[in-house]
Amino acid sequence: MVKYVEVPVGPQHPALHEPIMLRVRLDGEVVEGVDIVTGYNHRGVEKLGEKNSWVRDIYIFSRICGICNAVHAQTYTQGVEKLMGVEPPLRAKYIRTIVMELERIHSHMLINAVMAEAIGFDTLFMLIMRDRERVMHLKEIVTGQRVHADIHMIGGVKRDLRPETAEKVLRVLDYIEARLRYYKKVFEEDYTIRKRLEGVGKISKQEALKHSLVGPVLRASGVPSDVRVDDPYSAYDELKPNIVVRHEGDSLARMLLRWDEALESVRLIRDAIKNMPKGNPVPKAIKRAAGKGEVFSRVEAPRGELIYHIVSTGGPKPYRVKVRTPSFNNIVNSGFAYIGERLADVPVILTSFDPCISCTERVLVVDEKRGLRKWVPFMALSRGEIRVT
Amino acid sequence: MTELSSFLIKWGAEEVGPRRLVIRVEKDKLRDAVKELVSVDEMIYLSTVSAVDYPEKGVIELNYFFWSVTEKKGIIIKVEVPRDEPEIDTITDILPGANNAELEAHDLLGVVFKGNGSLRRGFLLPPEIVEAGVYPLRKDAKGV
Amino acid sequence: MRNKLIRYSPWLVHFNTGACNGCDIEVLAAITPLFDPERMGVKLAPNPRHGDILIVTGAVTKKAGERLKRLYDQMPSPKAVVAVGACAISGGVFAGSYPLVSGADKVIPVDVYVPGCPPRPEAIIDGILKAIKKLEEGGGSD
Repeated sequence: MVKYVEVPVGPQHPALHEPIMLRVRLDGEVVEGVDIVTGYNHRGVEKLGEKNSWVRDIYIFSRICGICNAVHAQTYTQGVEKLMGVEPPLRAKYIRTIVMELERIHSHMLINAVMAEAIGFDTLFMLIMRDRERVMHLKEIVTGQRVHADIHMIGGVKRDLRPETAEKVLRVLDYIEARLRYYKKVFEEDYTIRKRLEGVGKISKQEALKHSLVGPVLRASGVPSDVRVDDPYSAYDELKPNIVVRHEGDSLARMLLRWDEALESVRLIRDAIKNMPKGNPVPKAIKRAAGKGEVFSRVEAPRGELIYHIVSTGGPKPYRVKVRTPSFNNIVNSGFAYIGERLADVPVILTSFDPCISCTERVLVVDEKRGLRKWVPFMALSRGEIRVT
Repeated sequence: MTELSSFLIKWGAEEVGPRRLVIRVEKDKLRDAVKELVSVDEMIYLSTVSAVDYPEKGVIELNYFFWSVTEKKGIIIKVEVPRDEPEIDTITDILPGANNAELEAHDLLGVVFKGNGSLRRGFLLPPEIVEAGVYPLRKDAKGV
Repeated sequence: MRNKLIRYSPWLVHFNTGACNGCDIEVLAAITPLFDPERMGVKLAPNPRHGDILIVTGAVTKKAGERLKRLYDQMPSPKAVVAVGACAISGGVFAGSYPLVSGADKVIPVDVYVPGCPPRPEAIIDGILKAIKKLEEGGGSD
């Protein structure tokens, strides 16, 4: 006789369009254990990086993830700049910062919207997505592209920020800030949201550190760790971001923390535009060869610490680029957080980790349907439409 | 002087850049180093394990990157394992967060972490490449 | 007969074959209120068996390729396939990497190609409308 029921959750998720599979072992409704299945098949980005030149790699690495592409480009370029001995102009650093903070706002809005949908709050999902389009518009007028910014170049940025654009950004930010405050209030006060998120998927400080969880997940468990403050890059040593920390360690804390961070990002963009130094941020010539050496480059992506290990043996190509994305830690190592929770809470906990599967696996999770195992749509599960008895 | 800084002096840490320290250890000393590091600083976490292949030296270099939250320092423990017998003890029992990094290094470079029960090929790679016995991130990998 | 029905309410099946999420968030943006294709009856199908138009994003990894083929076979005819983004068309920047098939049309027949990295939501909606037109004219694949 089988002691527990095994339910695969995923890999089709109608909202996030991202596939992941959790193989959940159940005792009644209670989760006994979770295997995170990464039967994956990656895009071989690290190998491609070794084959292509320093400059072409900017575009390859920024395409690891569409949601946090500017931070990938930032981590790579700042590492390469260190190896090449290039210092970008201060104005370029400010423009990079603005793009990265816009990205943080839209990423945090996206995951909160997905969370709203996961708990069956479709109206809120649509409202947040509509306001998120304003941020995407800002990203477009600043960088020229809605999603892939591609504004980073070795030794600067691709285009300058015009004063009219900066003015428009400030104007729209006022609207966005008001909306962010409103949504934060909804998450704080709404009865349904609190019921679904409060106390679910609790992670203590020690557990978070031991399992190498990073970013909002770590900060929501009471650890004040933010690369922007601890290990400042770009213009962050001048802008001085405040670390947002919460101590509850549950799913609600993780979501509320993201709203607070988005509000902090609004302040950072305002300060960056106000204090932006004059000068030409676009480099005249690009260096194409690096000296020998290696560098560990860290950046605070919307999902947490992003780290690149770049090794150069001289010449036109990198010797090795190791990419460790925040989701790779947050998703693969977080299996312990599901134990003891109910089945309907599994999608809520997963969403609260902000799963960016293209970052994690740079792939697709594919598995076969076999025997009694059943594919469960993510949504149906979180809404309690499927009962395992 | 904090406990962490006396640890760094004891293990001969060398500063390589702003907030980056490198410690080189022999492969059988790795577990001792990690155990001691975790005990001297409770606000420390393992960021990643980066494996780099150096065929001309005949070694695979493993870089364990730790970040100390309170002291704001990145501590890199460098270990070299021979290429023809890439074996090292696991640290997942000390820090469970090392699991994903060990799985990745095993799948892409073939480093064997002794004592890690969840080690398997195909964690990242498609079956064709696993069956061909290719480690794509080794410098002499064929067909990738 | 069925072609006519689809015209009024084509349901989408979205499949990510190893994309960077860039195209996926744009597909997601394209179905949310600002662009609102639901006014044309376009919405996401809960199951591939209910779908009329398959949207493929991503560089099609070898493993996902098998899954894509199966998903395509599960969809009822007539059906159309829209390849969204440079990766789904040819592999994009990842073309030639070892785990990739590089291009959706190497696995299943593709009716509409939407170029871009990623394409704008307007372009994706345009691609969907072109696919509807193709179905209406009796095109698409059976």
